[in-house]
Amino acid sequence: MSILQDIKNAVRSRSIHVAYVDVGSCNGCDIEVLACLAPRYDIEQYGIYVHNNPREADVLLVIGSVTPQWVDKLRDIWDKIPEPKVAVAIGNCPISGCVYARRGTLTSPPVEKYIPIAAQVPGCPPRPTEILNAILSVAPLIYKDYEEKQL
Amino acid sequence: MKKSVDVSIPLGPMHPCWKEPVRLKCETAGERVLKTEMELGYMKKGIERIMRGRPWQEVMFLAERVCGICSVIHNMVFIETMEEISDIAVPPRAAYLRVVVNELDRMASHLIANFSYCYTIEHETLAMYLLNTREIVLDNLERITGSRINTAYMIPGGVRFDLLPEDAAAMLADLVKVEEEMKRYVRIFETGPLIALRSKGIGFMSHEEAIRAHTVGPTARASGVEDSDLRLRHPTYRALGFTQITRTEGDNFARNMVRFQEVFQSIDLIRKCIETLPEGPIRGGGLCKAGETSYAGEAPRGELTYTIKTDEYGRVVDIAIRTPSIMNIEACAHTMIKGATSIADVTSTFISSDPCVACNER
Amino acid sequence: MKFLYEKDLRQMKYNILTSTRHDETVRAIAQHLGVSNAKLRMVLIRRLDMSLLENLGSRWEMGLQHADDGDPLAEELGYELFTRFIPLVDTETMQTIYADTTAMTQDMPFNDAIARGKERIREAVLS
Repeated sequence: MSILQDIKNAVRSRSIHVAYVDVGSCNGCDIEVLACLAPRYDIEQYGIYVHNNPREADVLLVIGSVTPQWVDKLRDIWDKIPEPKVAVAIGNCPISGCVYARRGTLTSPPVEKYIPIAAQVPGCPPRPTEILNAILSVAPLIYKDYEEKQL
Repeated sequence: MKKSVDVSIPLGPMHPCWKEPVRLKCETAGERVLKTEMELGYMKKGIERIMRGRPWQEVMFLAERVCGICSVIHNMVFIETMEEISDIAVPPRAAYLRVVVNELDRMASHLIANFSYCYTIEHETLAMYLLNTREIVLDNLERITGSRINTAYMIPGGVRFDLLPEDAAAMLADLVKVEEEMKRYVRIFETGPLIALRSKGIGFMSHEEAIRAHTVGPTARASGVEDSDLRLRHPTYRALGFTQITRTEGDNFARNMVRFQEVFQSIDLIRKCIETLPEGPIRGGGLCKAGETSYAGEAPRGELTYTIKTDEYGRVVDIAIRTPSIMNIEACAHTMIKGATSIADVTSTFISSDPCVACNER
Repeated sequence: MKFLYEKDLRQMKYNILTSTRHDETVRAIAQHLGVSNAKLRMVLIRRLDMSLLENLGSRWEMGLQHADDGDPLAEELGYELFTRFIPLVDTETMQTIYADTTAMTQDMPFNDAIARGKERIREAVLS
């Protein structure tokens, strides 16, 4: 509609800030997210910057099935992220609980009970390229014409 | 814990430097840390409770998912415990292939540990170099086992896949590349004046304190604890002529250097394995029986113990896992960080002990 | 919006203490001190932080191996065992108890003195 919106769309598609939160996984997915930083995958060439600060994040990567300590805190972190925001579930754990959703477990999956999830990347763990692909494909959908959608 | 000072600085659970959530409450006077208290429970999944009453075929996959970074050794120690309970012999070729895969996993784990340390002290160039080298190691792991992280390579009585000659050749070529790169990175780390300022003499742990907290692995070896590597007792490693690396400084620099040196040692061990790889079958077969035993192996972070009790169908009745990170994180929080002169050193000291919270809480 | 994140950790600490290995250790310590398991668990949960609780088993083992080498009185009382390896008693309190018990051994049989010293340690732990 407006030129301003077009500029905003163009800028936002090349500047995505990512925070990741581990809510109780085997940290296999964790290190696959870290592996995206490696020069081989080079997450920063797409304008994605990974740092763990929810206050300036656009995308929250949620890893793991939810442990007792995170039941109340996950929502707090989600509330701290400024709009527009999106949460992506990485791995099987946030979707179904993976191997931990058995009798005797302390976890309480899925993550969707606590915060809205926009995209899911199944896998135990997913490959870095799949994580990268998910972030790149979900972020523009949410941010495109964000201000106009609000009206 | 009773509050003795007025300033209490909490770090975590979400912190830019930490890969996994954990909360450290540092009680400080000015910048000096007087006491630390650790709050866990962010990763407690109750994996030992899930394992009880399940057949070993399931527990094998659960054991891997205790920790994603060192999943191969969890698999290996669990399988070797089951073999010890049921008297299953391993064919020599399979035993050597286990060592190859385990050492590749150890290299990947040490590289990511040193990556996190360099990232924490903001030496991003070296951190990225190390992360890229780790990808080469993971490529080889994937070529042999078919997966990057959770491999499920070992089973009672052998391994799943054979090592093809062309894969071995490709791995040896890759290892030459890794060794050359690593020599350069270690030189950067050893001689860098800024790295020395952030690492040397910081986070000191004495030999007695290392013993008191029962620290294991590179953390203990950096404090000069002799005979703290269980690979010295493993029959296959003994056949390969393994010797332990020990340093005496006991600071952040020593812990990272021990890990760097162990990467070179792993490369040598893999080469020796490929050279002397015996011919023969890779799977012997066997039946899992009833029994109870405790068995330990050397994980990248130190001694890993599984205590398992099984029934006659091979089901796990009771299991207790003691992972190396429990001791190392505890020693780090209560002795290394205590007396740190700056809050900035708390994060780097904590990362230098290679904390793996998923292991620690299971 | 709440600004403090302090949460009740007792249930999680109890979960740690009731796993197989830790339960064995708690029973061994309780027997050594002569207190009931439940009371010791309560004290442990109140005094120690979560990583120390996780590491209880290895610290206890190392304490039995390395603490108080050579001194029979210190070994019986657990002089280093309960101050450095498992910090349940303050160092100052332990020093007074140790000094008093050493004085007591002069004018009464060794075993009686030890029994009185242990009684005081039990009080210090449970207080």
